[in-house]
Amino acid sequence: MARPPVAPGAAVIDFVGVHKSFGDTVVLRDIHLSIPAGQTTAIIGPSGAGKSVLIKHAIGLLQPDAGQVRVFGVDVVTASQKQLYAVRRRFGMLFQDGALFDSLTVGENVAFPLEHHRRDLSEGQRLAMVDEKLEWVGLPGFAQRSIASLSGGQRKRVGLARAIVMEPEVILFDEPNSGLDPLTSDAIDELILHMKQRLGITFVVISHDIVGTVKVADNIGMLYEGRLIEYAPTPRFLRSTDPVVRRFLRRNLDSSWLASLGAGQAPLEEA
Amino acid sequence: MAFVAACGRFGLFLAAFVNASWRRPPPPGQVLNEAYRIGVRSLPVLVIIAVFVGTNLALQGYKAFAPLGGQRLVGMFVATAGIREMAPVIAAAMIAAKAGTEMASQIAVMRIREQIDALEVMAVDPLWYLILPRLLGIMLVLPALTIVAIFVTLASSYLVTIWQLNLSGAVFVEFAREAISGIDFIYCMIKGLAFGIIIALVSCFFGFNAGNGPEGVGRATNGAVVTVSVVVVFLNYLLSEVFYG
Repeated sequence: MARPPVAPGAAVIDFVGVHKSFGDTVVLRDIHLSIPAGQTTAIIGPSGAGKSVLIKHAIGLLQPDAGQVRVFGVDVVTASQKQLYAVRRRFGMLFQDGALFDSLTVGENVAFPLEHHRRDLSEGQRLAMVDEKLEWVGLPGFAQRSIASLSGGQRKRVGLARAIVMEPEVILFDEPNSGLDPLTSDAIDELILHMKQRLGITFVVISHDIVGTVKVADNIGMLYEGRLIEYAPTPRFLRSTDPVVRRFLRRNLDSSWLASLGAGQAPLEEA
Repeated sequence: MAFVAACGRFGLFLAAFVNASWRRPPPPGQVLNEAYRIGVRSLPVLVIIAVFVGTNLALQGYKAFAPLGGQRLVGMFVATAGIREMAPVIAAAMIAAKAGTEMASQIAVMRIREQIDALEVMAVDPLWYLILPRLLGIMLVLPALTIVAIFVTLASSYLVTIWQLNLSGAVFVEFAREAISGIDFIYCMIKGLAFGIIIALVSCFFGFNAGNGPEGVGRATNGAVVTVSVVVVFLNYLLSEVFYG
């Protein structure tokens, strides 16, 4: 199916007045957010702020109680399953724990979307694409390995290889650093940066790790108690005067490092 | 009220599964894989259980009919109770205990590890991908396993009759043949087919609706096996009423 092009900077995902509750717990309150094409947008916030719930709305895994979610111009709330699946084929997603299928090998996991959507490819072409993507994520020669034999960082890399194998237009990262030690976290951040330069597509990163987020993001939004309390290009976000944002930054960033990023205009001590 | 709500959820689940699957062939190769896994893994335990059900049917039949001087009726009792009722239910119970719990727990683990969400994001319908091969696999295997259970039950009863009870094997066979006919085997296979459908759909339903964490997996597995057991016994009664009532 022909895909209408999305101009760089135009919104690929639009949240319009999105509201979501689970029982009595309100998770998202009146969220208005546009994710621009070709850029890396990070949504940060403390645990339980609604970040994962928000990202799941973008691909129709959850339905809002009120509001609209438009993706590539399609309202995924009212879309038919066929329309929704057509939208999803333009996405890749890296889940928190990789969400890899334990009964399949690394190579079979990465090849999974190709097996289902690229029947036009020969077995040899599929294998070549799998090997290429595994090499991109720093795991050459891992195709025959079992999932059980992988470390946490390697699982994330395989998950990323699977997310990019269909050459999507948008990649969603759900807590790419969760459960990883600082060194492996750094390596994953570097990998995201590398992919960003190599692919030049839209990235959406959900994280509570502000250090990694600042490294990779062009824009940062912060969710707090279900509300989007700040959303701006990264340098401006770092100078935010919102007291909750200041507190979150102060707790997570070394002040001298933050100042070197251009956030010195709003001293951390003031919050 | 909770029961009605659960029935409603199951109905919606069933409708979604039928909608996702009725026009599409199952994922290649997976039906035979499932049939092989279910059949081979469940066969040893099924044979063991069927052997001892057969031995006990012979012993109880002998005890029941001996005071009436009708020891020869053991063959008839075993054939009627064993073939028409016990064998299909034993086969279903074993498959529910082995394959049904495995289905529920596997799918529940996939749910809590976001693998089902991953299928959705990759635009692969999880209802089609996960349920259809399991359903078709069990439908292929359970009628065959029911027939295996029938012959093992009969054989073990026969051996107890001639070795332990010192009755005539020829009389056992003659009365057993009088009690049943070819149509009984067909009925048993229909029961096996119906039980297989119930086991697959109910087990997958519990797996798909598992709650969070390991506790959710445990609850889903437990709920699946308890519900399947109750529904199978009830369905067995209904089918027996239709076939023999």
